[in-house]
Amino acid sequence: MTKATTDPITIEVVRNAVVAYADEMADVLSKSAYNMMIYEVRDYCCGLIDTEGRMISQNRGGLPIFLADLGVAVEDGIKRYGLDGFAEGDVLVMNHGHICGQHLNNVVVYAPCFHDGELIGFAANRAHWVDIGGGRQGFGSNATTDIYSEGLQMRSLKIYDAGKANETLLQIIRDNIRYPDASLGDLRAQIASCQVGARRFGELVGRYSRATVDECVATIWAQADRQVRSVIEKIPDGTYSATSFLDNDGRALDKPLRIKVTVTVAGARMSVDFSEMNPQVDGPLNSGRSGGIAAARVAFKALTSPNLDVNEGCFRSLDVVLPEGTMLSARPPAALGQWSIALPTVIDTILKALAPAVPEMIPAAHKGDMGGCSFFGFYGDGSRFLLMNIFGGGWGGRPHGDGASASVSVCQGDVRNTPVELQEIKYPFVIERHMLRPDSGGAGRYRGGLGVELTYRVLRACKGNINFDRTVTPPWGLDGGKEGAVSLAIIERADGRTENVNKATNVAFEPGDRVTFLTAGGGGYGDPRERDHGLLQSDIEKGLVSTEAARRDYGFAAKGESQPAMRMAANS
Amino acid sequence: MNIVGVDIGGTFTDLVGYVGGHIVTSKTSTVPADPTKGIATSLDLAGCETGSVDELLHGSTIAINTVLERKGARTALLTTTGFRDVYAIGRSNRIEAFNLFFERPEPLMPRDLTFEVRERILATGEVLEPLDEKTLDEAVAWVDGMGVEAVAVCLLHAYVNPEHERRIGAALRQRRPDLFITLSHEILREYREYERTSTTVLNAFVGPRVGGYLRRLDGYLRDASFGGKVHIMRSNGGVMSLRLAQEQPVSMMESGPVAGMIGAGRLSKLLGLERCVGFDMGGTTAKSSLLTGGAPVIETGYVIGDKATGQPMQLPVVDIVEVGAGGGSIAWVDKTGGLHVGPKSVGADPGPACYGKGSADPVVTDADLLLGRINPRRFLNGGMALDVEAARRAMQEKVAGPLALSVPQAAHGVVRIADAAMSLSVRAVSVNKGVDPRDTAMIAFGGAGPLHAISIAREIFIPTVVIPKLPGTFSALGMLMASWRQDFVQTLIGRVGDLQASHAEEVFAELAAAGRDQLTRDGIDPATADFRYYADLRYVGQEHAISIPVESAALLTGEARTVRDRFDREHDKRYGQSAPSETMEVVSLRLVLTAARSDSLAEQWLSQPWTPDSDAGTEHRDVVFDDPERPVKTQILWRNALKAGARIVGPAVIEEPNSTILIHPDDEVRVTDAGHLVVTLKY
Repeated sequence: MTKATTDPITIEVVRNAVVAYADEMADVLSKSAYNMMIYEVRDYCCGLIDTEGRMISQNRGGLPIFLADLGVAVEDGIKRYGLDGFAEGDVLVMNHGHICGQHLNNVVVYAPCFHDGELIGFAANRAHWVDIGGGRQGFGSNATTDIYSEGLQMRSLKIYDAGKANETLLQIIRDNIRYPDASLGDLRAQIASCQVGARRFGELVGRYSRATVDECVATIWAQADRQVRSVIEKIPDGTYSATSFLDNDGRALDKPLRIKVTVTVAGARMSVDFSEMNPQVDGPLNSGRSGGIAAARVAFKALTSPNLDVNEGCFRSLDVVLPEGTMLSARPPAALGQWSIALPTVIDTILKALAPAVPEMIPAAHKGDMGGCSFFGFYGDGSRFLLMNIFGGGWGGRPHGDGASASVSVCQGDVRNTPVELQEIKYPFVIERHMLRPDSGGAGRYRGGLGVELTYRVLRACKGNINFDRTVTPPWGLDGGKEGAVSLAIIERADGRTENVNKATNVAFEPGDRVTFLTAGGGGYGDPRERDHGLLQSDIEKGLVSTEAARRDYGFAAKGESQPAMRMAANS
Repeated sequence: MNIVGVDIGGTFTDLVGYVGGHIVTSKTSTVPADPTKGIATSLDLAGCETGSVDELLHGSTIAINTVLERKGARTALLTTTGFRDVYAIGRSNRIEAFNLFFERPEPLMPRDLTFEVRERILATGEVLEPLDEKTLDEAVAWVDGMGVEAVAVCLLHAYVNPEHERRIGAALRQRRPDLFITLSHEILREYREYERTSTTVLNAFVGPRVGGYLRRLDGYLRDASFGGKVHIMRSNGGVMSLRLAQEQPVSMMESGPVAGMIGAGRLSKLLGLERCVGFDMGGTTAKSSLLTGGAPVIETGYVIGDKATGQPMQLPVVDIVEVGAGGGSIAWVDKTGGLHVGPKSVGADPGPACYGKGSADPVVTDADLLLGRINPRRFLNGGMALDVEAARRAMQEKVAGPLALSVPQAAHGVVRIADAAMSLSVRAVSVNKGVDPRDTAMIAFGGAGPLHAISIAREIFIPTVVIPKLPGTFSALGMLMASWRQDFVQTLIGRVGDLQASHAEEVFAELAAAGRDQLTRDGIDPATADFRYYADLRYVGQEHAISIPVESAALLTGEARTVRDRFDREHDKRYGQSAPSETMEVVSLRLVLTAARSDSLAEQWLSQPWTPDSDAGTEHRDVVFDDPERPVKTQILWRNALKAGARIVGPAVIEEPNSTILIHPDDEVRVTDAGHLVVTLKY
């Protein structure tokens, strides 16, 4: 093997290059994908993995909860085939529930990278397939109780073996999922993306030698870890814990689920302990270990290295204590369909635990759910439709400013809502409004951000899933700030009946029915009575806070009825 | 015929003209407070008599700066009832995923300047709720009372049926002819309400200020007895009339950078280069664009300002990838010992440490100077002496000291990192588009471009680098070659094969009519214009579409084999795969309407035989190439003294008034008959 020749400059070149390759993989994937979960929602991640299953680089702007966890999938393949069991032209698919720990829709595709015949690593991506068979449609279903009812599992299978397509496997996939054209199109995009990544990484190693690239990567990880440790060292040593609750598992509606975390800071290390987490549940609100690890990592990264590109080094100083059998480390054959639902609240709770230690770094709680809806049915010609959308909500007030409104959860990053015009072009609905939800932001010296209101009118009979949470523990305030408004869905039937719903699976809708989704606001930060009156007056004029709420929550009497506020009231 | 191009950038105002049968050029400091003054000075310096100029082409950063500085008009927004907050909600995404304090793009106008109009049009264009007279009156009265200068109107699905927007526009224009009014369908007929709203608001927001600037410019020129035409450079790589620029100022956001790429495209054609990369390096950024068949690619959609928090603009723009590395980019060492270059830069004032204006931050230009690559006595044609000692001190304190490197090692590292960053922008427009750099050439320009181009090209194995004549003011030259251009788009959704022929023809006809109307208003004979149609196509189920040329509606109906083949091929080229058996659908139709310039003076000049106008001799200087500890004795040549046909083998430094060209050891330079330098890289 050639000797490594690294210097600060080569390291910098490699640092930029490996991330640029992951970004290029993401570009190929998202631009040629067939389902909105990839091209619109960006529910995917791409990266380069070394021969030990460690993350060399990951694309920017993918889903934050996919944090350095492609390695688990690749490791499984390495165990199965051995490092000498891969050939150029191999492509593998992997979504096994117990190994990956996520819902089966998240399909990992990976390809070995070679240089001069030597295996040097893997290019991998994970993308959310619109359907994977089984009893669930869209997202938000709480109907399943084991992994077998959730669809097709594929464990490190070669869908291409040395360049030759595995037609049997392709046929099995095609015959067992609801939207085979879309998913096989996505699979094509995933494969092309891996091929690009594998080729680029091979070129890089060809240019600088494997020893040099390996050493650069090791240095990049060490540098990331050094920054992370310098931040942890500033956090006072101690043990911090916090508890919150999810409403229920969508099945036993009167049974809240406990989220308890204990964070220990000792010198330059941090540990997140989930030992007292709620045990796994009968329904699909479970994740495997990777869910718990993802939650701990998102919180950890937000605190210690928010600006660094994601790689293995960012998490070297984090320990996660996660015994088997909790709702974040479920044993097989647990259902995993709603694997990510608990994560925003888990992350919020880790941050809350640390708030007393580092108040300057922690905002009040955010809306705390993944905030989406799905409607599915058939057109007149028998073809299926599936509408999925993601909503923003309020983020918590901050030590020095108001929370952001209408933003996706901490687990979603660059995930986007679906344009109203696009939804109406593609699906049989009229969307009657999409606006900010006044008075939803928790009162505080710094106000929580606002949730949104979105009303769908159904044009064609269909079904839908509703999945809101966090009414038992609303988005909390910090330092005396008040809670944000909780989320809620209101169904108005064509005949005038209305019902309020938080969780419901396979709800039938008829033409003329309306569903309004109200998403949660963020918690407030600091005593509301200390809010600057100029800011409050401006909130009132802009219609973000009503005069009644200003009086009730802030003890503030608005200056007369300002002109704009009056017009807005008349106009809305 | 006398034509002049003036490019006002952040630091310099560049002019290139073709006057009295000769090319003239000048470079002068930009006067931010009164840009027309900069134009006056640059005309003087170049010896141009304003009254004798027949046409002035102009690119300016005024529109983009108005947005970046948020100094536009007080603007009202009219929307469909229920959608007041489309603009504030945006796409709800958080690009900086791990930043707990992330702020999404801040709207350019506050929520209380939004009015909801009771009306509703469906995706099919059908009217669900008509706009009644009373509602219309209320809306107009509200605008009248709000003390605004500009109004943006963006109603749901107006891209398919603009009737309600038209009526609101007519009523507003009648009641308040003084207001700057933008209707969304007048600038963009595509779905996606947030991006359309943002584009519409951007136009309204910058409209009054840009309009005022253009009026002052026009007034100044008329006062100076200018009797010619003024054309404004736009982001799509074409030019437009002053009148159109006043109506659609949003389309001049990238007014400056695109002109250089247009010029580079023309040059590539003259040199017979099918594919090349235009590379433009200035003070704060470096820009790259892929040029195919003599022109850059035009993309739709762009973010004004920072990628995470900027304002989306959904209009065609020359596909330029910009990275924050330029001559003025600051080199710095982080807490963990990582060396970085940029994205912060020093700007014109105080400038690099070597300007001697007191800056202690080492920048790329300082590093170039310390490596012997720049001549301290010939900078800006000898107009500014550079302080080598100041550069050395800055490099020692901020980089060499902290990293325990020698000053030459540090300077060399800074240049390598900057080159690596810039090579990523070149890679983004070549490799990342499936273009093998070994099959391309690079055309390098901008003040600092020719100094760095060759090592960047070498990073990704580009075999040939061309340094054109006038590289330092090449963008202004590019303006003299730009065609009149207007892009039109209309949503047309349907499966190819099922599309009704009459409907497709109707949309083609509407686009053609809109195009002819615009030509007539700008005094251009439609018979001389070039109408090109494109269909945005995708496989059913995909979202992202690819624009494919279609000559007529007939190509989209029936079997559509030709279009099918074109699309499959393009999909495979971009994404490494295609699906020829799948159903294809059309999303929109585009018309790209161009009218070529009546003259080709600047292009002729590009191929005009070169004659040296100086006989400066060769000097020598120590220059660092690959080994910072072993500088190489290098010949220093004056470009204006090189003869056509001359061949030079590196190492060499070729200096000219507004730029410096670095030739690495063993690379070979040939001076073409027209005086361009073609450098063949030795690998």
